[in-house]
Amino acid sequence: MTATILGSTAAMLAQLAPFRSDDAAGRTFWLPPGVSSEAAQVDWVFYLIYWICLFFFVLVVALMVLFAWKYRRTRAGTWAPGPTHNTPIEVTWTIIPLLLVIVIFYVGLKGYVNLIEVPANAYEVNVVARKWTWEFRHRNGATEANVLKVPRGQPVRLTIQSDDVLHSVFIPAFRIKQDAVPNRTTYAWFQADRAGTYQLFCTEYCGTQHSSMTAMVLVLEPEEFERQIAADAAWIDQVPEEQLHMAGFRLFARCASCHSLDGRRLTGPSFWETHDKWGTSQTLEAGTGTVSRVVDENYIRDSILIPQQDIVPTYPRSMPSFQGQLKARELDALIAFIRRLDEVVDRSGKPVSGVN
Amino acid sequence: MTTLTPSRPAFAPSNYLTHSRGVLSWAMTLDHKRIGIMYLLGVLGSFLLGGIFALLVRTELIWPGQTIMTADQYNRAFTLHGAIMVFLVIIPSVPAALGNFVLPIMLGAKDVAFPRLNLGSFYLWVLGAVLAVLAMLSGGIDTGWTFYTPYSIEADRQGVIWVASAVFILGFSSIFTGINFIVTIHRLRPQGMTWFRMPLFLWALYATAVIQVLATPVLGITVLLLMVEKVMGIGIFDPSLGGDPVLFQHFFWFYSHPAVYIMILPAMGIVSELISVHSHRHIFGYRFIAFSSVAIAIFGFLVWGHHMFASGQSPLMNALFSMITFSVSIPSAIKVFNWLATMYRGRISLNTPMLYGLSFIFIFTIGGLTGIPLGTLATDIHLHDTYFVVAHFHYVMMGSALIAMIGGMHHWWPKMTGRMYSETAGRIGAIGVFLGFNFTFFPQFMLGSLGMPRRYFDYQAGFSQDLTELFHVYHFLSTLGSYFMALAFFWTAGYLLHSLFRGERAPANPWGGASLEWKCSSPPPHDNFAEQPAVGDCYDYDQIEWDEAAKGYRFRENYTPAAAH
Ligand code: HEC
Ligand SMILES: [Cu+2]
Ligand SMILES: [Cu+2]
Repeated sequence: MTATILGSTAAMLAQLAPFRSDDAAGRTFWLPPGVSSEAAQVDWVFYLIYWICLFFFVLVVALMVLFAWKYRRTRAGTWAPGPTHNTPIEVTWTIIPLLLVIVIFYVGLKGYVNLIEVPANAYEVNVVARKWTWEFRHRNGATEANVLKVPRGQPVRLTIQSDDVLHSVFIPAFRIKQDAVPNRTTYAWFQADRAGTYQLFCTEYCGTQHSSMTAMVLVLEPEEFERQIAADAAWIDQVPEEQLHMAGFRLFARCASCHSLDGRRLTGPSFWETHDKWGTSQTLEAGTGTVSRVVDENYIRDSILIPQQDIVPTYPRSMPSFQGQLKARELDALIAFIRRLDEVVDRSGKPVSGVN
Repeated sequence: MTTLTPSRPAFAPSNYLTHSRGVLSWAMTLDHKRIGIMYLLGVLGSFLLGGIFALLVRTELIWPGQTIMTADQYNRAFTLHGAIMVFLVIIPSVPAALGNFVLPIMLGAKDVAFPRLNLGSFYLWVLGAVLAVLAMLSGGIDTGWTFYTPYSIEADRQGVIWVASAVFILGFSSIFTGINFIVTIHRLRPQGMTWFRMPLFLWALYATAVIQVLATPVLGITVLLLMVEKVMGIGIFDPSLGGDPVLFQHFFWFYSHPAVYIMILPAMGIVSELISVHSHRHIFGYRFIAFSSVAIAIFGFLVWGHHMFASGQSPLMNALFSMITFSVSIPSAIKVFNWLATMYRGRISLNTPMLYGLSFIFIFTIGGLTGIPLGTLATDIHLHDTYFVVAHFHYVMMGSALIAMIGGMHHWWPKMTGRMYSETAGRIGAIGVFLGFNFTFFPQFMLGSLGMPRRYFDYQAGFSQDLTELFHVYHFLSTLGSYFMALAFFWTAGYLLHSLFRGERAPANPWGGASLEWKCSSPPPHDNFAEQPAVGDCYDYDQIEWDEAAKGYRFRENYTPAAAH
């Protein structure tokens, strides 16, 4: 049990350190590998435009260089006679680009329609963007931060929401991008045709850790996918009571963008800092003045569910509320994790040896 | 000493620079030329500041991981860079600085229609600039120059209010300049200068002024709403108050897209002058160029939604905006072809201003063509908000708008200062800027199309190792290029400064231009012209002849133009 928990935790934490993805296979000079069913069409449009543009670019620059050289001035005071306008020619070079852009617009529109028309049998994943984590919720209840597991060869619909500011889902290998807008639901779809690990980025500026608000897309073979998703949905209930703090380690992926396990001060306090003051009383900023609270289970619970109520001095008010996002048992696991942190990781954030 | 000839009033004892002395004579001046020069200094100062922050941003990205600053500092640096370059440099650079100097002289007028309003615009600009820079340097604004909600209205971003007020004030400066130019062009054209005899630079300034007057108020309203929301807590853009963040994007781009044309249209106007004068060849297709400026100004208002294809706006809107966007590409293409046709059978002097003109054609062609995959729906979804967009708009805004402005500065430098700069140094500078620019920004196209998002402080944490390695190559090249470009700019600043003190005295007409500003002395006298000059075809170079004594050109006496060909 513990081994599985730690195994998937390792995968989760791997994204904090550079990892290998399958984004290299099939990459060309201009484009990342095209792994989705729509990628080929997008790339086709891209290269159509590319060759048209290259043609005109070469034409313009060649003429420019040719004229600049051939008609360069050799002697002062000689003037060129020449036409000052020529309506047929000018109309021609208005009409030809016009026809070309009509074609380009049309193929672009067609490709776009395919990108937004979700097949009816699509598998749905809810995506919640929150500073600075991606949360992926499957219909069977499996929820994971920063790892999106999808089946190969089946259309997937992402239903996208944001809890705070604008974010944007961008998966280069699938050629999709869609903003996450608070108070709105947006969507995108893809069908991944090759199993592997691909990268997801946030492409709408969202503050301090915008650039590390990334996630991994794991495209799995359908049976493997079913198996893993089922395990992900049930795992927290199967964790034995005395192992709950270990399970918290896995849930920590959602907090990792703001809380460290190696003592570093990120946006929020390191969990080592919180762990070390367990049982002591601390002063907090609340609304108008300050309050004093003992750091215990209740305090941690409040910090996670109603973080705006009181703030640890010198830190910004940027901890999002996880009200309704965590199951009761997951909350217990996180609390146990912070309380018994020394049994899970050492001071540099590495899993304590002998844990598995 | 050479004797004074009519074509070379030499360093006229009384010109606009020597007309009166003392700081106050500048601070209170109503002379459009002095106001233009003051704008130019302000713009160049801001360019230096914005440029320093650009170098900081590039330096941070030279290695993966944290290099010289933290993520928060980086976010402030790129915001400062963007906001300064857009609002304080590129928007005012050509109209307010060069336009102010040249427009009345090109019209043969003594000044703009409302000289006091002109000085007022300048002081508004100064006020806005000081406020913006202070707010950003002290408060640390990290929203990006776009101020997207709800990020910009979060509680701990109070400084946004100050920057928004600054933008509001700068907007009024821009509107007043626009009104001034429109009225000047309508009312102060001399006898004989019909609309179709105006230099194309004036057409461009006119089209720009119309956009400034019509679009800038929307920016004013937007930042006002932003302030109302922040100060009074009324829900307009803030979703937690029932507002709509996408509405902000509509408002913002309704101004900021036309603003792109406030930046590029006057630049195109300059290029029309540069190419024609230095090719010594009548501009080809005058009417097509003039009308394409107007067409761009009109279509420019209808395409803002192309910034929002991924924002969640309806697919129908996306389709319409994509379609209209392509209509802007046609007038731009027409201009490029017409410039090439102007060079055909010319007598091209490859001097510094012309090299900038050619750089413009090269860079603008890339900038314009790379706009096509961004306007195309299927491909924009992939390219949106990546470095491809960063590269594209730097090709248009910096490589085109700013390079044209620097070319224009070189073209009118003898007129403005009465001095010639070293031609060799100038050519080296122009080639250096051109190479440095492409070296900096071309790699960013690949970065973007390969998937590197913009506004990223880092490309290591959360990145797979091979992507980090791939992106590093391009970031590294780009940063080296930016250092190279910076050197070229310092070089340029160096020889221009040198020319002020050591440069040869400029003749009235060093290049052989035929528009009216080349008729008055260099630098022009306080009133520009003692009496209204006669107006001919400003692209008819048959009326110009070389004057050995003056080491410049002069207008032929008793010239009668040949029948139009
Ligand atoms: C967007 C950044 C962010 C994320 C994500 C985040 N937090 Fe926080 N957290 C903060 C900040 C900032 C503070 C300090 C201010 C405050 O007290 O609210 C904080 C405070 C806390 C505290 C109180 C710490 C103390 O020393 O008193 C706890 C406990 C906590 N967070 C738990 C969590 C857990 C568990 C998660 C993940 C499920 C999480 N946080 C995710 C930013 C974040
Ligand atoms: Cu982001
Ligand atoms: Cu635009």
